[in-house]
Amino acid sequence: MKHQNKDLWIGVEDKTNSPEFVKSVEQEFQDISKVENLGNENVMNTQTSRRDFLKYLGFGLGAATVAASCEIPVKKAMPYVVKPDAIVPGVATYYASTFVNGGDFCPILVKTREGRPIKIEGNPSSNITKGGTSARAQAVVLSLYDTHRFQYPTIDGEKAEWAAIDKAVKSKLNTGSTIRIVTNTVLSPTTKAVFAEFQAKYPNTKVVSYDPVSSAAMLIANERCFGQKVIPNYRFDKADLIVSFNADFLGTWISPVEYATQYAEKRKIKDAAHPKMSRHIQVESHMSMTGSNADNRILVKPSEQGAAILALYNALAGGGASSVNAKAADALKKVARQLQANRGKSLVISASNDINEQILVNKINELLGNYGSTIDFGKASLQRQGDEREVQALLKEMRGGRVDALIVFGANPAFDLPNAGDFKAAMDKVKTKISFAGVPDETTALCGIKAPNHHLLESWGDAEAKRGQLSLIQPTIAPLFSTRQAELSLLTWADSPNLDKTVDRPYFDYLKKCWKEKVFANQSSFASFQAFWDSTLHDGVLEMPVSDGGAIAFAGDAGGASGKIAKPSGSGLEISFYETLNIGAGQYADNPWLQEMPDPVMRTVWGNYLTVPVEWDGNRSYKTLNGLKSDMDETDLADVTVKGSTNRLPIVPQFGQMKETVALGLGYGREESGFAGQGVGKNVYPWMTMNKDGLTQYFNANVQVSGKVGVDKEFACVQYHHSMGLTSGDDKKTYVDEIEVMPLAKGFQGGLTERSIIYQSNVNEIGELTEKIGKKRKFAQELNSYTLYPGHDYKYNSGHHWGMYVDLTACTGCAACTVACMAENNVPVVGKKEVHRHHEMTWLRIDRYFYGDIENPNTVYQPMMCQHCDNAPCENVCPVNATNHSSEGLNQMAYNRCVGTRYCANNCPYKVRRFNWYDFTTADLFYNEQLVNGEATPFGADNLTRMVLNPDVTVRSRGVIEKCSFCTQRIQEGKLTAKKEGRKLRDADVKTACQTACPTGAIVFGDMNNHSGELAEHLNSPLNYIALEEVNVASSVTYSAKINNKDESLA
Amino acid sequence: MLYKKIILRSLLSLACILFMGLGASAQDEAAIKEGKTLFKGQCATCHAKDMKTKSTGPALGGVEERWADYPKEDLYAWIRGSQQMVQAGHPKATELWDEWKPTVMTNFPNLSDAQIDNILAYINCQNLGNCPGATPPPDATGVGVAAGTSAGSSNLLYILLFGLLALLALVLARIIANLNHMQKVQRGEATGGRQSLIDILTSKSVISFVIFALVILGGYTTVNNAIDLGRQQGYAPEQPIKFSHKTHAGDQKIDCQYCHDGARRSKHAVIPATNTCINCHAVVKNGSKFGTAEITKIYAASGFDPEKGVYIKDYDSKTPEEVAAIYKDWIKSTLSEDEKYKNKKAEDIAEVADEQWKGIVASLADSDGKVQGPVEWNRIHNLPDHVYFNHAQHVTVGKIECQTCHGKVEEMEVLKQYSPLSMGWCINCHRETKVQFGDNEYYEAFEQYHKEIKEGKRDKVTVEDIGGLECQKCHY
Repeated sequence: MKHQNKDLWIGVEDKTNSPEFVKSVEQEFQDISKVENLGNENVMNTQTSRRDFLKYLGFGLGAATVAASCEIPVKKAMPYVVKPDAIVPGVATYYASTFVNGGDFCPILVKTREGRPIKIEGNPSSNITKGGTSARAQAVVLSLYDTHRFQYPTIDGEKAEWAAIDKAVKSKLNTGSTIRIVTNTVLSPTTKAVFAEFQAKYPNTKVVSYDPVSSAAMLIANERCFGQKVIPNYRFDKADLIVSFNADFLGTWISPVEYATQYAEKRKIKDAAHPKMSRHIQVESHMSMTGSNADNRILVKPSEQGAAILALYNALAGGGASSVNAKAADALKKVARQLQANRGKSLVISASNDINEQILVNKINELLGNYGSTIDFGKASLQRQGDEREVQALLKEMRGGRVDALIVFGANPAFDLPNAGDFKAAMDKVKTKISFAGVPDETTALCGIKAPNHHLLESWGDAEAKRGQLSLIQPTIAPLFSTRQAELSLLTWADSPNLDKTVDRPYFDYLKKCWKEKVFANQSSFASFQAFWDSTLHDGVLEMPVSDGGAIAFAGDAGGASGKIAKPSGSGLEISFYETLNIGAGQYADNPWLQEMPDPVMRTVWGNYLTVPVEWDGNRSYKTLNGLKSDMDETDLADVTVKGSTNRLPIVPQFGQMKETVALGLGYGREESGFAGQGVGKNVYPWMTMNKDGLTQYFNANVQVSGKVGVDKEFACVQYHHSMGLTSGDDKKTYVDEIEVMPLAKGFQGGLTERSIIYQSNVNEIGELTEKIGKKRKFAQELNSYTLYPGHDYKYNSGHHWGMYVDLTACTGCAACTVACMAENNVPVVGKKEVHRHHEMTWLRIDRYFYGDIENPNTVYQPMMCQHCDNAPCENVCPVNATNHSSEGLNQMAYNRCVGTRYCANNCPYKVRRFNWYDFTTADLFYNEQLVNGEATPFGADNLTRMVLNPDVTVRSRGVIEKCSFCTQRIQEGKLTAKKEGRKLRDADVKTACQTACPTGAIVFGDMNNHSGELAEHLNSPLNYIALEEVNVASSVTYSAKINNKDESLA
Repeated sequence: MLYKKIILRSLLSLACILFMGLGASAQDEAAIKEGKTLFKGQCATCHAKDMKTKSTGPALGGVEERWADYPKEDLYAWIRGSQQMVQAGHPKATELWDEWKPTVMTNFPNLSDAQIDNILAYINCQNLGNCPGATPPPDATGVGVAAGTSAGSSNLLYILLFGLLALLALVLARIIANLNHMQKVQRGEATGGRQSLIDILTSKSVISFVIFALVILGGYTTVNNAIDLGRQQGYAPEQPIKFSHKTHAGDQKIDCQYCHDGARRSKHAVIPATNTCINCHAVVKNGSKFGTAEITKIYAASGFDPEKGVYIKDYDSKTPEEVAAIYKDWIKSTLSEDEKYKNKKAEDIAEVADEQWKGIVASLADSDGKVQGPVEWNRIHNLPDHVYFNHAQHVTVGKIECQTCHGKVEEMEVLKQYSPLSMGWCINCHRETKVQFGDNEYYEAFEQYHKEIKEGKRDKVTVEDIGGLECQKCHY
């Protein structure tokens, strides 16, 4: 395009050197008059008289005296009456379970303290995720304590007993009733057995399964091509070349944790002298998280996806031309040649929901001989089973009044269908409507009988995410409310002969019985069922032998399919709708942790933003669609019109967004939801269309976007918050403190012109990169060797010296670590307004940098946390010594000593210190009610939500600084374990929360003094560097440079 | 001289008598001591230690008298193998078997005659309550008190001395002033009368000195008292159950960590769950001090039926009346067996039971009047906010005695907070305490210190040396 750019940039403000940006990087905290208007424009101009001042001072002193002179309250200590054997108060207990939500799946370990779940860890025994987690799995523990959960069953809004519910349901159902159970993908074999029992009692029952973000076309295509209606098993760890048509497989598509684990395995540079990595080409219009990780992105409009697949197919099979744009056509031809060179070692996938396109993708893989090597059907994935044509058929039945009863089992069709409005209207014609939802949603609001299901962490269950790969779900807390397992409700209503209602836990009993018959009977490792069950429950996962699927014959009609590919819609503006990492198809909207987790690419929170393309005109200026712009604290609002309906949306100018396209996250705009979801963002489901097969299409080629119609003054985008001050632009001009230092002493510490924040290179130029890194590091170290205090350097060579290694090549930006950090360290949620005011509290942020082509750039994600500098600039500016250094190299923060001068935050070159501007945790004596999303009580102020707090970490109150502690509570716990056992510390004793959450193993933590440890293995690579090494802060975090495998000929 | 001789002689004879007496009783004492050890090891599981109450086995008090009709060898034989005697048809053995079957007494074939004699001696003295060592000898506390007194008297001495010197200074000052004044008068410099005491006391310099001194003193007192705000050393609240650590840890010598089982493995030492109490109190049903009044509280809280030795089913859903009925019956039946109440009328016993039950409800009942559920103890050791403390680190790793921080708990009838639990107190200990450096492989990571120890440059490693004074070791 315009020009290749080796420099890094983070967004348009940076690229244009906007004065606000230049100013913002100079100061840690935003100009208060701009961000903060304290509710009244005149406040800043008012004056306080001496009398007023004295009055407030007197009152404050008096109040403090009254509060302090109270008698010491009598505290109670209540022991158990009968202490459960497994619990030792003060010691965490872990239970293996499984995170399941529709098709989302992750085997987990649940950490419980005194019987309450407080943290999720990945289950390393799983062969699917290998211990990795996703942000969604990490956040599930918070949804357990959602204050908006249904606390008891209701009939027509009236509280009812469970017996009354059973009676009411049974009186309304008879064996002739037409009953429809509507669900998303169900992974549980036992739940399916329950459905079968229900169907046996009520023969006119049908289970209608669909997925809001559908893979139905893939299922159907696989059925037509191979006779198997499943998602095959993809092996990203065996593929040297990955071509993905709009599939966000690292973020949201099918099984992202599994794929990310495999993907990183093939891309990490293990030996810098002989580097090897796979190439990843993404064909898309909107920059998805996966696309941002790709080596090359080929831009095609949403309506051109089919044509693009056809172009690749034609190039491989030798067909005619396709109508995809010329640039993409040219690139795809080259891709075809590369694919042929990588026969059997490549992988082509597509997220398209068009059957013919999926048949072509299958044919492409078949032509490339990928079946049997990178794709197989042996351990086929069962994580998408839904077919929205069924729910459309149900809608017709409902309209015709042919449905007697509708049972909603973990689905929300009144929200997440393109024609959800019709579904809502048709629900009026169904007499009996029963919902099992545990939190309010749009469908449940219309159901007369609400029979709330247990939360996942209160339930028994199982899951078969891939063929033969079973996992169990076990409860980790007694049900908090009067809820009942949905399966148990169904079995009760079905009068199941297999259900023993006399036992304490009937569904547990039922589950065990099912496992005894179906799983235990097919295995040979255990002779007794109890031993088998105990072992499986302990491990949480079980792998049963499956056939490898054998040779697969392709029986699809590729020729026919290629003829039916839809033509692109031409030159108009198009919009695509994508699933976001945080709130999925809308089902996670009620989780404040996920709402406040920044989108990896856009870096926005609390809402969906229209991404508009950025067009660069060569100089320091840019054009965007209709002149829509955003600056750091405000963004333009635009009216977006699709299908005749208009929504006013804030915009984000997005690098990598294709010209003539815009994109919008789906799942927002919930009307009924749990704690945090209501009214956040805009609902885009009504804008989607269905193709002639009745499958939902996640784009619309007919969209109008207006010019600026207003301004969103509460733009919550963390992109420019805590910026480290970049060297940007082509003239290498700097905008930070160096400006001051440079004229004084060129080459002196801090006076380097190029800051070493990110290093990146192509895998072919890795030699030059290591040379460059080596040179710069040597120079920096030479500078750092001069000291004003000779003889005072402390060497940390005895005992422990904690350090961290972060592999930027492995990091995909999935943000599981940020949510894990919030959960582990009691990091508060502050809400949209406070994020807008730069007050987000995350200890671990993932900085996103662009490099390369200015309009279609590559991306680096850099997890940035406290670097625990051994020469820390924050420490020596603290007037009260609240932050200081430990003998183990930790930069310590003593909250109860901090007086809140914030000098440390100003002096931190990495901008990782966070100040408690308000009493976000409501832990203060005089608390200030901080509302997150217009709710009645502040988030976290109630005892229910507080149950999620980690009791080993202080809950900070207003006026103190906080920051990453390297999970010091875990360090102390790990050391104690080793001491108690009288042995040396092992790597496994101490792992930080971000490390255990990471699906790709990008973060390694350990003792740098342990030369045989895992960390030491990583510290010798020539790709390693220390961020801002030249400022001589002696950071303890080592980054490994980002390496890409970009093919310049495709650009 | 005469006095001296008399005193010396009497002292000598007194010493002789004392020594002889000691020598004689020392023999018995050794026997009883061995008997006690044996009893605790072998018999105490089934036989009550007070020798008066029935437990799994009969009360052993007066056992020799009961077997007096038979040769002593029969008793030895019975203890070594009771069932053989029953089968052989020994009349006493058959009588006991009829009374106690199906409970079979454990065989002790390894006990020698002498050992059995020692046990019997212990049983005998325990039954009569005249075992040596029952009244603890004066110990360190006494010394402490004495030292305290002497310190107090020396303080008094200082105060007296101070007063005396101050008086002296005042008198001398007065004399000097008078002499000065007289000199001035002689020189004719004096104008008017000499300054009176009142004039001096109300002079500017004195007033400003007094104000200054008051401010300093006031500030000092305020700061000192402010530091103590929130600290509660010596705090000894009344507890819902009059649990005596002296009885349990002192007299019965139950190990601290039997009940506080978290201390070795968790941050919390843990107040034991009620079912831990039941472990022993399933057998010990009548307390030595309060009889049924206190022990019934743990039964009532946890729903244990002391009569049948099982937990009552669906106890939690019982009404207060039902609960009261169960335990009042129990108290009545226990009382009626008691010596003290043997001759009392049924109504009187019922009255005592009512009274006791009232007390139980008052200490256990929650706001709804429910006695079932956990006992709400008053927490004594409250650490300041924002501090992390881990018992396992100190008990298991540091091998610190419980008493170091908690004082002589085994002598406390009512538990009190022994240490100030202030940061200064923690820090001081961390400065002085040696780390168990050599015995724990974990500390091999501190290569430098090991080297220094080897080279003789260092003789100890304190907690401070390995970072025990750093903020984030306790605050995070």
